[in-house]
Amino acid sequence: MNWRIVGTLVSKDLSLFFRKRAITVLTFVGLIFYLVIYFVMPSSVDENLKIGLYSPFSLPASIQLNEEGLDITAVDSEASLKEGVIDGQYIVGISLPDDVIEKLNSGQKPKISLYFTPDVPQEIKDAVEVLISELAYMQTGQTLALDVSEEILGPDMLGTQIPPRDRLRPLLAVFIIMMELLGLANLISEEVERRTAHALLVTPTTVTELFVAKSIAGIGLAFVQAVLIMVIIGGMNTQPFVVLVTLLLGAALATGVSFLIAARAKDFMSVMSWSFPVLIILIIPSFTVMFPGVITGWVKIIPSYYLVDTIHRAANYGSGWADVWLNLLILLGFTLVITWAGIFVLRRKFQ
Amino acid sequence: MLNYIKKERDAGTSRMKGDKMAEYAIVAEDLTYSYGDLIAVDHINFKVAEGEILGFLGPNGAGKTTTVNMLTGQMKPKGGRAILLGMDVARNVEKVQGDIGVCFETTNLYEQMTAVENLNLFARLFGIKSFDAVTLLNRVGLEGREKDRVETYSKGMKQRLMVARSIVNRPRVLFLDEPTAGLDPTSSEAIRNVILQERDRGATVFLTTHDMLEADKLSDRVAFMNQGKIVALDTPLNLKRQYGKRALKVKVSTQSGELEDREIALDTPETPGDVQELFSREQIVTVHSEEATLEDIFIKITGRGLTE
Repeated sequence: MNWRIVGTLVSKDLSLFFRKRAITVLTFVGLIFYLVIYFVMPSSVDENLKIGLYSPFSLPASIQLNEEGLDITAVDSEASLKEGVIDGQYIVGISLPDDVIEKLNSGQKPKISLYFTPDVPQEIKDAVEVLISELAYMQTGQTLALDVSEEILGPDMLGTQIPPRDRLRPLLAVFIIMMELLGLANLISEEVERRTAHALLVTPTTVTELFVAKSIAGIGLAFVQAVLIMVIIGGMNTQPFVVLVTLLLGAALATGVSFLIAARAKDFMSVMSWSFPVLIILIIPSFTVMFPGVITGWVKIIPSYYLVDTIHRAANYGSGWADVWLNLLILLGFTLVITWAGIFVLRRKFQ
Repeated sequence: MLNYIKKERDAGTSRMKGDKMAEYAIVAEDLTYSYGDLIAVDHINFKVAEGEILGFLGPNGAGKTTTVNMLTGQMKPKGGRAILLGMDVARNVEKVQGDIGVCFETTNLYEQMTAVENLNLFARLFGIKSFDAVTLLNRVGLEGREKDRVETYSKGMKQRLMVARSIVNRPRVLFLDEPTAGLDPTSSEAIRNVILQERDRGATVFLTTHDMLEADKLSDRVAFMNQGKIVALDTPLNLKRQYGKRALKVKVSTQSGELEDREIALDTPETPGDVQELFSREQIVTVHSEEATLEDIFIKITGRGLTE
């Protein structure tokens, strides 16, 4: 391997990349656009606990709790209580059965139903169960045995307590990395179609050096931009090394994908038409973070899931190596397989 | 300069015959390549001396490009050997490629870069530390346009830049594939001058072309390739002597005032008498001597034209 040649080729690729007006504009406008989206998103969550209460009889205790700062609204039926939860009027709905008093009097456990919106964290659920016991105590003056059942209305979106702005982090990282594959695929396909690769390969440059140079240029472009964005949006504040390694693997994955696209595409338009479906597929896993519970387990077959999930866990929850090593291993596996396949199909075009 | 070189060659001072030319820059030994069942290059053998210009002629599909690809290390032969500068190309690709220059038929420049940037890029790939791109561009007649992006160049200018790129490393063997095809006379002349300058410097030139006149003007020897085989290889003069027919073309005016053509074969025992008789009996309007072109010879040998 002649690193002087590799360096020369990398510098040539970077120079050509930034001379392509369409790609450069797309890159810079994209970066600004992502930052604008990030900073207009709410940076905090609404912590007011809105509770809907259906009770077949009047509960003076609820009025007392209202006075103590809780936002409890009485509703006139269980159906309207559920409707309110689904509509997002209440985070929690509490439904007391019609026979609650009779059961308590006869020493039985009355069944109390709780309805939650999909994004309620476990801590709130636990707190509400305590609140019901408190309500019963305030109402009767004694500790009562209750049978509490929980029901989630709508998809489970556990984890939404993270501010929407922060939930954008993995999406932005994936978007930036994957957008770079457009530029790199275009650069490579042009090299093949315009036969400039052949001009290079009758100099002492080898096919291996050509691929190493393309990989360095592709990974470098994607990685630097992704790191830049993550620094600006605070994604590196917790577990910066985990995030860096994840972004690096993500950039390598995008480079492998761009090799595959470049092997199929012949010009800028065909690069676009091949890239966009691929981009859409690779971005799908980001929605598991934006809208938890919307997408089921099948998303794990998409390689970028492991990029998204690792960034989300490391940047938003502070997960360390011990928590994400398996994700990184799977991501590395996908990257190696895709890059090998990309080099395999593209190599035939160079020869 | 062209005329001088042609006279020297025609006088029989072929570079192949000089003592200093004992070493061969290019040797093809039973060189063979096939695409599946189709044999593109069929056990060809030839040698090109250092400092020689070899014109490599043949119609499309004759196997010229495949031969060049094997000689330049772009393809591995399926049989035989290609030896450049004493090295087996297949085993010493990178070393060989450091000593050769290749000018492709189709333009393959980095069009969003300037001419200087294109040349500097290749100079760096060859590991040349001090390289003067501007001087080289002046040599091919691109002065004043050095810092313009190549995408703004005309076809002739791009081709001149391609030739300049192929000599960035002062190659010992220069491969040129149709370097003047479709170019204006000025660009063609500029490129021909560079080819001759490179030969004068000592480089061996392997010139692939359809243009018989160009091959005739520039080449020390020409090789005719047809259906994967070399069917003739000699100096243009020898080929013309061997296969060509020299004749005197005469236009005469008849008694009725009409013009008629007469032809007298040269180089025969009857020629002097025939000429004398024609000039004494006919009213001569024009007289031209005619010799066979390389195209005629190619057709005679292969039964097909070069452009088929």
